[in-house]
This record gives sequence, structure tokens and C-alpha cells, in this order.
Amino acid sequence: MAADKSEVLQGTLDLMILKTLQALGPLHGFGIARRIEQLSEDVLTLNEGTVYTSLLRLQQKMWIASEWGLSENNRRARFYSITRRGLKQLAVETENWERIAAVIGRVLALEAKV
Amino acid sequence: MAPIPSREPVSDRALTFLSKLKALFGRHRDDVAFDEEILTHLDLLAAKFQREGMTPSQAVRAARRQFGNPTLLKQRQRESRTIMFFAHIFADARYAFRQLAKTPVFTIVCILTLALGVGANTAVFSVMHTVLMKMIPAHEPTRLVVLRESERPDGTTQSGDGYDNSFTYAMYQALSTRKDAFQDVMTYVPLAFSGKTPVRVGATPEVASGDMVSGNYFSGLGIGMERGRGFSSQDESQHASVVVISEKYWSSRFSRDPQIIGKTIFIKSLPFTIVGVAAHGFEGTEGARSLDFWIPLQDRPEFNAWGNSVGTDNKNFMRRDEWWCIRLMARLAPGISPQQALAQVFPTFRQAAYLGVPQAKQGQGKPPILSFSAPKQFGEPGDNQTKSLHTLMTMVVLVLLIAVSNVVMLLLARNANRQREFSIRLALGAGRMELARQLLVESFLLVTTGGVVAWLFASIATRALASWAQIDSSLQPDETVLWFTLAVLFIAALIFGLAPLRSAMSNDPQLTLKSSTAVSQHSAQKVRAGNAVIVTQVALCVVLLVGAGLLFGTLRNLINTPLGMKADGLLVFGVHPKHFTSTEQSVAFYQTFQQRLSALPGVTAVSMVENRPGSGWSNNDAGILIDGHKPVGSPDDTHFRNNGVGSNYFHTMGVHILAGRDFTDADTATAPKVVVVNETFAKRYVGPGSAVGHVVSASDQKDHYQIIGVVQDHKYTGITEETTPMLWSIFTQGSPEGELNYELRVQGEPMALLEPARRVAAQMDPDMPLLRPMTQAEQFTLSISEQILFARLAGCFGALAVVLIATGLYGTLSYRVSKRSPEIGVRMALGAQRSQVVWMVLRGSLTLTAAGVLLGVPLAVAACRGLESSLYGIKPLDPVSYALAIAGVVLVALLASTIPAGRAASVDPSRALRAD
Repeated sequence: MAADKSEVLQGTLDLMILKTLQALGPLHGFGIARRIEQLSEDVLTLNEGTVYTSLLRLQQKMWIASEWGLSENNRRARFYSITRRGLKQLAVETENWERIAAVIGRVLALEAKV
Repeated sequence: MAPIPSREPVSDRALTFLSKLKALFGRHRDDVAFDEEILTHLDLLAAKFQREGMTPSQAVRAARRQFGNPTLLKQRQRESRTIMFFAHIFADARYAFRQLAKTPVFTIVCILTLALGVGANTAVFSVMHTVLMKMIPAHEPTRLVVLRESERPDGTTQSGDGYDNSFTYAMYQALSTRKDAFQDVMTYVPLAFSGKTPVRVGATPEVASGDMVSGNYFSGLGIGMERGRGFSSQDESQHASVVVISEKYWSSRFSRDPQIIGKTIFIKSLPFTIVGVAAHGFEGTEGARSLDFWIPLQDRPEFNAWGNSVGTDNKNFMRRDEWWCIRLMARLAPGISPQQALAQVFPTFRQAAYLGVPQAKQGQGKPPILSFSAPKQFGEPGDNQTKSLHTLMTMVVLVLLIAVSNVVMLLLARNANRQREFSIRLALGAGRMELARQLLVESFLLVTTGGVVAWLFASIATRALASWAQIDSSLQPDETVLWFTLAVLFIAALIFGLAPLRSAMSNDPQLTLKSSTAVSQHSAQKVRAGNAVIVTQVALCVVLLVGAGLLFGTLRNLINTPLGMKADGLLVFGVHPKHFTSTEQSVAFYQTFQQRLSALPGVTAVSMVENRPGSGWSNNDAGILIDGHKPVGSPDDTHFRNNGVGSNYFHTMGVHILAGRDFTDADTATAPKVVVVNETFAKRYVGPGSAVGHVVSASDQKDHYQIIGVVQDHKYTGITEETTPMLWSIFTQGSPEGELNYELRVQGEPMALLEPARRVAAQMDPDMPLLRPMTQAEQFTLSISEQILFARLAGCFGALAVVLIATGLYGTLSYRVSKRSPEIGVRMALGAQRSQVVWMVLRGSLTLTAAGVLLGVPLAVAACRGLESSLYGIKPLDPVSYALAIAGVVLVALLASTIPAGRAASVDPSRALRAD
């Protein structure tokens, strides 16, 4: 792993997947992995298999749903889409994330007093 | 999900759980689908890399790298997709099922052992609980008391099937006024001694069981109604012609007719209107008499207590203060203890007790005593019945002990054989918890299957036992019984599960894998523990077999007891005609019926009898004078039994007349009064020489009866009866009879005459059913039905024990032989003969058997002392029973060891030594 890349936090991946599905509509696992790769601009490394762990977790909570369809290379693939419950959760988590990010930002912006 | 962990809401967790639960089914399908998903992903990724300029093989490798380890991922997905604990249990259950199916004999023996042991236990417990504990199904039964008396004043008479629970109607009225002690005093009295009263709903006469009760009967007991209403005090005071039927009768006779209220039933030919159906499960307060209907107390001669006919004064039980014949129950007033109530009402009781007694006799003798007992549904059970039930319970516990130890032994032996399997699994990384779980699942599977079969067996056996204990009312397995069974099963499951667990855990996998079976299995402690179990089993088996032998001996003696008459070829039934206004009328009716029955083709003789032989009923009297004097050389009390019969009675019954003659139609009410006596009566009370011609009279010298015949001693109340002095009179010379039994001597099958007899009866009186029709032989068999069932059950338990011992011995011995086969191989290689090897195995099991017999015989002697009162014509120390029991056990031991011994002798030394 290169030194300038950082690992994805566990819960963050769930949030990223939810946001991706909300923004782009139904996608298969490969599509989700590509989108995250693009957006992170290679800052984040991803063991792509972990996407599926996250997808299973989200599905068990019924935040996302899935159905079978055909991929661009004509193979059977599972397409995931966000549910109404998932949208609600995304809103909550987004707000949560922003609040915490702001706090962390303020903390890091503190200048040392001499 | 949040970067900073927040508590997951309950709904999310619940949804996750549900989804995991759903995934439990179709786990294989999910695996396949996920494989496909991964493959698609890898393909797409490889294609992307190829587009970016990699060679196909480079692209595939890069895709793998970027994706991560698919196998690991699959495993992780599989685990988080569902609840692994359940999945493991599923897998264990499947594995256990396969393991059990692989050894069907072991499995079947285990399940049957459990089913019979636990099932028999449940059945006997159900019946015991019902008979000994169950309260009547009333509201707040703890506030209810059943009244009992003793030391009834001289000069009173008593009727009933108990001896201490009858009271007079006057007593009921007196106690009813004591509201300070009793909130309610309820009374009831059966309408017939036989339990069955003639009723008619449609055209054909039938019988049903009914009581006359007080108006507060249902309200005082707190019994609700399915339909309609109960009785009121008005119904009682007006002696209303209304009837309440039981829910059972409503179902069986009226098919739960919703329009039942307002319909009419003819009881003893009088119309009664149905006003209510009692709550489900209530069939009267005496469990042994399940009732069909209740009517208010009736003040008319047709409805006398116990179906007795009224005397010439036409007074029924309500007008006879000296006749103790009705039952009393009371609900205690609030806040009053039974002791307080007893003290408060005692003066009233005492006063009422002397109401029917002439002034001069009052206060003589011991004072009458009142007491209370709990409202048990089956009263205070008879001594014999309680004892039999206790004996059965003991037998059942013994069988259960044998059964449980047997299954434990079988499982131990089986799991010891599987030690290598366990060791290999431990060595391959199976956790101890996993092994424990698998063993527990296996034993629970065995126990549950055994339990289901046991429950089936128990419900059949309960019904059989209930009919033996003469509990008509529908005996339902109640919750206590259910919990008891479950507890037994649970303990069994724990024992079976944990016993092999210990030996599996204490195993050092390395030792087992390294060494041969001969080395790893030589634990003297284990062998000793096994020996102790076998010896105990053999001892218990001896006890059961001796008990069974004694009871079978009793049964054989009972069946072979000479009756002194020809009971075969006799049909017997009772009739209970309508009320007659005069003795002449009743005699004429019975004689006409006798003549018409005699005219039926196939009937050779017909006579009548008051108390049916073999039914247990009898008239007992004491105090007679022979020719005006006290009988020579006999004690003050000249006890004897008597019976009223019709003409030609002894000829019909096939009783040998030793001297004199039988009764004839010429012995009418106006002719000289005559009696017939039996040999014992003649010898004991009349003395040597012919008894015919002597005169018998009661101590008051009012009536004189001439002895006209002496007959052979024969059985009266039942088969077990001791020979007693007997006296018969002809019914035409006595008081009018309410009910008589007809005895028909028939050519061929007696029951074939039942229908013709019924037609004759219908011509005489359309409302007169034939009561309890059966053959006379059957009636005598009924008198020993308890003993028959008791002996059969004991026999079953004995046989069960033998089978269990045989399987247990066989299992243990063959296991030991298989363990010792290397040793046997060495012995044979060193020159041991086959016969020596066989003898070595046989000696082992015979030694164990001998030890078991030595332990069992003293136990049997102690146990069978308690059986003494149930035996007939056989001593508790009967040597034949003991010899047979010991022979039986030894035979079983030999049989069970033959196969293992044969297997030991056929061990091939070279193979045995090479193995492992």
C-alpha cells in the first residue's frame, strides 16, 4: 500500500455506498466500486470484496434492495438500489457526518498558544 | 455505520435478525448466487484492466489482487448472512440423524426403552394423581367440605355404597339452618343402586345415571352452565319436574343439539323438562360415578333414594327420619375454619341424629360423631386400590430406572466406540464446545423422539388404567402430569447428553491416535462402574419378575377357583319396573315375565335373583335362632349372607342340591315360609344330621322359616369370596322388590337370547330397559377384573424389564468383547482354545448375573411383603416364583452373551493383532 493512500473507515463505506446509490440509481457491486474509486481520486484504497460485506449489512437492515439484471458484459449481476428507509437513514447520517466533520475541523484549526 | 459508533435502533437489529432467520432456509442457494456475483465482478474488473492495456493473464491476476481473497470473503459472507448458532444446530441435527440412522438397532432400542419407561411412568402417574389428589371441579374447592359420620345411633338404617357418608333428610334440613357455619349445605342422592335409571328420550327405553339434588347444588358448588340454567330453591321446594344434563350426555346422546333446552326426557316414565346443560367437565362430585343428569329432590314414591321401593306406608326418604341415605356437602361460611364450623354445628347434628329413634333408645350407646373430609373427586380411595396403585408406581419406577441406566449404558458404549472419531475431530481443530453441542443435539434428538412415542404410549395406557381404576369420567392428562413427564425427559436428556461428554472430553487426542484400542481403553474404573450398573439392573429385574410371578400365580388361582355352579351358558340382566302399588302386583309382574322368558326358544330355565352373583353386592345379617334356640356351639354372632331368589333358582344356576328341594311356584306369600341354606350354614349352625325340616327365625321370633333344602357351597359376591354361611328365601314371601336380576339358562350362545328377551320386556313395559346384560361367566370375571389387569400390568413390567436387561447386557458385553479382541487374539495366539474364550465371556456375564441375583432376592423378599394383601392362594415367599424369576434372569443373561461370546471365539488372532 502506498504511503499517500489511506484506508477506508468501516462505517464510512456504508455511507459512501448509500450516497452513491442515491445519486446514481441502481448499480451492481462493480459499478459501486468504480464510482468510489473515481470520487476518491485514488486517495482511498479499497479491497473491492469489502463492498459486498457492506452491501449485505445494508440489505439486512433493509436500507437497500437488490434484484438480478444483466451487466454490460452480458452476465447476470445483482443490481442494488436505495430504499425509502435508506434515504431517511442517509439524511440522518449525512447531517451527523457534517456536524462531526465541522467539530473535528475546528479542533484541528486551533493554533497553539505560546 | 456512523464513524463514531452510535447505538443501532431496535428496528434495525430486528430487521437484521429476521433477515438472518430467513436466510437459514436456502443457504445453499445464497452461496451459489454470491459465487456468481463475485465471478461477474472479477470478469468486469479484468476487462477494465485489459482495456487499460494489460495482457489477459496480467489482467486476471490484477483483478484478483484488487478484489481480495474471494474464499475468505465467501466464508465471511456466509457467516454474517445468517445466525451461525442455528445453522450449526441444523447441521448437528442432520449429522446426528445420519449417525442414528446408521445404527438402527441401537436407535430403535433406545427410543423404545425411553418410550416404554417414560410412557408407563406417565400413565400410572396420571391415574394416581387423579385418584389420590384431584379435587372436584368446583369453585374454591378448599372452602367445600364433605360430611362424614360415625357411630350412627342404634335403631337407624343406612343405605349407600359407602359406610360413613350417609345422612337423613331431616339432618339436611337441620344443618341447612346453620348459616353461621355453612354458607350452603348441598345434598344429593343417587336414583338407583346400580347407578342406572330407566329413561326414555324417543321411543326406545334406555338407561342413564342420575342424582336427585338440592336446589343449591349447582350454585353452592359454583358450577356454571353451558346452556340454560341450574336449579333454584324453588325447584327444590316445589319438587319441579325439571332436569339438568351433563355436557357429556348432551354430546353423546343429543349430538350437542342447540335446541336442547325445553325438550322432554321421561325418567322412570315421568316427563321432565330439560332446563340446563352443566359446564364442560362436570359429571357429579364422585369421580367413580359419572352422571348424565340431575333432578331436584322429589317427594313421590317412585323417586326414592337409591331406587329402593317404598314400604306399604308409601313414604320415601324425605319422610323417614331414621333412614340415613343421602350425601351431604357444605360450603363453609366466610371466615370460618372447618374446626370452628364443626364445633358450631355439632349440637344441631346430635339432635337431628336422634330424630328417627324412639324416645327410649335416644342417648344410648356411643354418641354419634360428625367429621369433614376434603372434596376429593374420587373420595378416599379404597385401601386395595391405593395399594395396587402404589405397587404399580414402584414397579414403574424400577422399570424407569432400568430403562434410563440402560440407555446411558448403550450411549456410553457407543460413544466409547467413537472415541477415535472424537479424537480425530479434536485433532483437526474441532472445538470442545462443538463436540459437546453435537452430543447434546444427538441425545436431545433421541429423547424427543422417545418422548413423542412415550406420549402416544402413555395416552393409550392411561385409558386402560383409568378403566381399571373404574374412573368413567373422561380422564384427561392434566398439566401436572405434563410437567412431570417433561421433567423426567429433561433430566434424561441431560444424563444422556453429559455422560458420554465427560469421556469424550477427558480424552487425550494424542493418546487415542497414537495407541491401539487395547491400550486406550483399559480403564478399570469404567469397567467397574459398568459392572455395578448391570448388577443393579439384574437385581431390579429379579424383583419385578418375582412380583409378576406372584401376581400371575394369583390370577391362575382365581381363574381356576371352582364356583360351585355352572356359570357358562347363563344370560343375566336386571329389570327395574315402574312403581307398584301392592306386593301382589309386583310379584305377578315378575312371575309373568319369568314365564314369558321361559317360553322363548333356546331357553331351558329362568329364575330371578335380588343380588346378582359375582357383582359384589350381598345382604349380610346376623343373629338367628334355629328351632327357637341359639345355634349350638357357635359364637354369639351368627353371621350369614342371604339373597332373595325366584322359583327353580338352584336348578337354573346349576347348583347341586344336596338334600331337600328347590324353590317352586307353590312357595307363595300365603304358603308356609321356606328357606334354602348352604352346606356351611347347615354344618355350622344346624349341626350334624340333615338340616331339612329345621326352622330358622330372627332373634325377635316374629317370622319362622322352614329349611326345605341344602345346597352345595358356591360363590356369591365374587370369585375371591371365602365360603360363608348362606341362606336364600323366595322373593314372593318377602317385601316388594324394586329391581330383580333374571338368570336365563340357555342352549348355545347366551348373548344371542338378549334381543328376544328385550322384545319380551318391551311387551311387558315399553319403558323398561334391560340393565347390565351379560353372561354370568362374564359377571364373575368382572369380579376379578382388577386382579386380572393388575397381573397383566405386572407381567408387562416384568417382560419389559427382561427385554431391557437383555438389550443392556448384550450391548455392554458385545462392546467389551470388541474392545478385548486384541487381547483375545493374543490369548489365542498363545494357545487358548475357542471353548476357553467362550467360557471366559460367559463366565463374566454369569458372575455379574449371580451378583445381581444375590442382591435381588433379599430385595424381592422385602418388596413382596407389601404385595401380600393382593395375593390369592399363594404365599409371598412362593419358591416357584423365585425359582422361575432366577431361571429367567440367568437364561436372559446367557442368551444376551451368546452372540458376543461367539464373536469372541471367532476372533482371528493374526488379524486382531495386526489391527491398529
